[in-house]
Amino acid sequence: MNKRIAAVLMAAVLCLGVGIVQAESSPVTINFWHHYSAQSAENETLVNILIPKFEKENPDVKVNAVSHEWAELHDKVLVSVSSQSLPDVARCDIAWLPEFQKMGVLVALDEEMPDFKEVSSTLLDSAMSTTIINGNHYALPLNTNSKILFYNTSMLEKAEVDVPVTMDQWVDAVRKLSGTNENGQQTWGWNEPALSGWNLCPFIWSFGGSLTNTEQTVATGYVNSEETVKAIDTFAVLYREGALTGFNSGDIPMTDGFGTGRYAMMLEGPWKTAELTGAYPDVAYGTAPFPAGDGGSISVLGGEDIAMFNVANKDAAWRFMKFMTGEFAETEMAKCGQIPVNKAALQSDTVKDAPYAPFIEAIQTAKARPTVAAWSEMDNELNVAVTAVVNGDKTAQEAMDELAARFDALLKQ
Amino acid sequence: METKSRVNRIQMAALLIPGLIIFSVFTVYPILRLFWVSFCDWKLDSMITQPFIGLTNYRNVFSDDTFWIVFVNSIVYTLITVPGQMMLGLFTAVLLNGIKRFSVTYRVINYLPVVTSWVIASLVFRYVFNTEGLLNYVLTKVLHLTGQNVRWLDSRWGGLSVAMMLGIWKGVGWNMVVFLAALQQVPQDLYEAADIDGGGAWKKFIHVTLPSIKGTILFAMVMLTIGGFNVFTSIKMITGGKPAHQTDTLLTWMYYKAFSTGKFGYSAALSFVMAFSLGLMAILQFKAMKNREMGGGA
Repeated sequence: MNKRIAAVLMAAVLCLGVGIVQAESSPVTINFWHHYSAQSAENETLVNILIPKFEKENPDVKVNAVSHEWAELHDKVLVSVSSQSLPDVARCDIAWLPEFQKMGVLVALDEEMPDFKEVSSTLLDSAMSTTIINGNHYALPLNTNSKILFYNTSMLEKAEVDVPVTMDQWVDAVRKLSGTNENGQQTWGWNEPALSGWNLCPFIWSFGGSLTNTEQTVATGYVNSEETVKAIDTFAVLYREGALTGFNSGDIPMTDGFGTGRYAMMLEGPWKTAELTGAYPDVAYGTAPFPAGDGGSISVLGGEDIAMFNVANKDAAWRFMKFMTGEFAETEMAKCGQIPVNKAALQSDTVKDAPYAPFIEAIQTAKARPTVAAWSEMDNELNVAVTAVVNGDKTAQEAMDELAARFDALLKQ
Repeated sequence: METKSRVNRIQMAALLIPGLIIFSVFTVYPILRLFWVSFCDWKLDSMITQPFIGLTNYRNVFSDDTFWIVFVNSIVYTLITVPGQMMLGLFTAVLLNGIKRFSVTYRVINYLPVVTSWVIASLVFRYVFNTEGLLNYVLTKVLHLTGQNVRWLDSRWGGLSVAMMLGIWKGVGWNMVVFLAALQQVPQDLYEAADIDGGGAWKKFIHVTLPSIKGTILFAMVMLTIGGFNVFTSIKMITGGKPAHQTDTLLTWMYYKAFSTGKFGYSAALSFVMAFSLGLMAILQFKAMKNREMGGGA
């Protein structure tokens, strides 16, 4: 009997011992959620080059990277807040940050990280500005982007249309490029895959309009201004003429439509270059700045930040964030078409020779969408309002007047 | 005797308790909790501080234009798909009940849509009804009926009609099986009596078959109404609520409000509005059937 007790005790002690040894040597695991698509070159680089290198340099940290769809990641974070299952670090669209910050789940990096100033000085100032909410920095910028004009060279040549430089020329070109091709299929001068702020803002801004005042507190007088209404109206008229499409459920997807010569022009980001090379290597196309209207040529600023959640292992998470925004990681990601925000990486030959060099110009004049917590809801309201206009249910002025009141209410919340 | 019944009662309780616990924890508690959430300004950042805001969520639901659009959509979807499925299902069942050979083959063929995945069926329907899809190809290139592609999916009723067609196509098989089982229970001597009275096939169907399977009709109607209000996958896959929530239904709208905008209080209130509507409709259906029964008997 005594022997048996002794054996059990021995076993228990052994187990404990093993447990302690394991606990000492087992590294911290940090969860990193991102939306590099699972089959993309970015994801390959992340999994095969960046994470192994980081783990080699930091043997006490393991990174568990989880890929999500873009929209799914936003929703997943929302749900995870209430179930307390947030990751340590996430790559977030710059448009999401204000919303997450308002929930109180992000770490104010400039307050908690002693070397924050040192790190931020290596990154682009314009990109750093996307991380400020109420005077504090809640993230580090990871990459930036904007959209420029893509045009199908042979379609423009056949229609004898020059690449549009002004908004008037653009309207003209979109009309001329629409009709039917030699196979009797309908063609459209312009493709716009959705009616959200990401799609409409370049038109609104370049027409000289805006969504809110500069302080982002009031929308009346801005989103229903003459210029904004004119932008929306132009858009709707072109849609009804059959010169512009892409946002309906029954439409041809953007890349397919452009690649097969059904859509003549579109406004797209640097990722489209790689997508077209992969799916439609034979299509001849060129790029140009977004046509200038009364407000100039203003594209929309996109990009991603890397943010830390308050549940994180802060030391390990911060080390990973510094690594991801460092010169090595930024240069590697630049090879896959991600425009870096690290100043040293921007000077590298990889960037200078990259196909996205024209985008870097557009970024200089591009503007960010409103950085307010209610943006997701405002974006939805904008979509609903403009849908009513393009379908002819309301005039642009009516819809924008109603939208202004809704925006004002959302901005007050 | 008394001790025996007490033992019995203890035994019963012991057998019931595990089931009751599971039912309470996973069904009753979540419903009560959700009911409470529908009166709160649900804050995502904290599970503890949820300020009570009374009926505000319900007021928000009823004053929301989009709610009325999706509510009408759900009602229209139910009003069309439920009778559609039942009539076609009953028709197929009557036909199958009459044949002797290959009845299993026909049953399998008609039941196949039921076991097909909603996602796959929805994608196929979307492919067929796309502006550049199969149907438009046939209409313009094969039959030359129109020169321009029809935008089936791009309007509120167009998109919903496609989803309704899918709903009916997918539901006929289930109705067929249910009605076939009921038809086989109808006593043959009733038909023989009707024959003697000189009733034709149609009269027999109206006066013998239908009254005999009334219980099954009510059952199918209530189940399908619940199913109609619960339509989700097909809408999400075919139109995604486009254009601008015009084709959303109660469930896809609830999902959007909760998981894309974080308005859990609103969604909780919406779910009780939906449950209440369904309950009301079930009561009306039971009442209607009962009245007919009494009328028929008199």
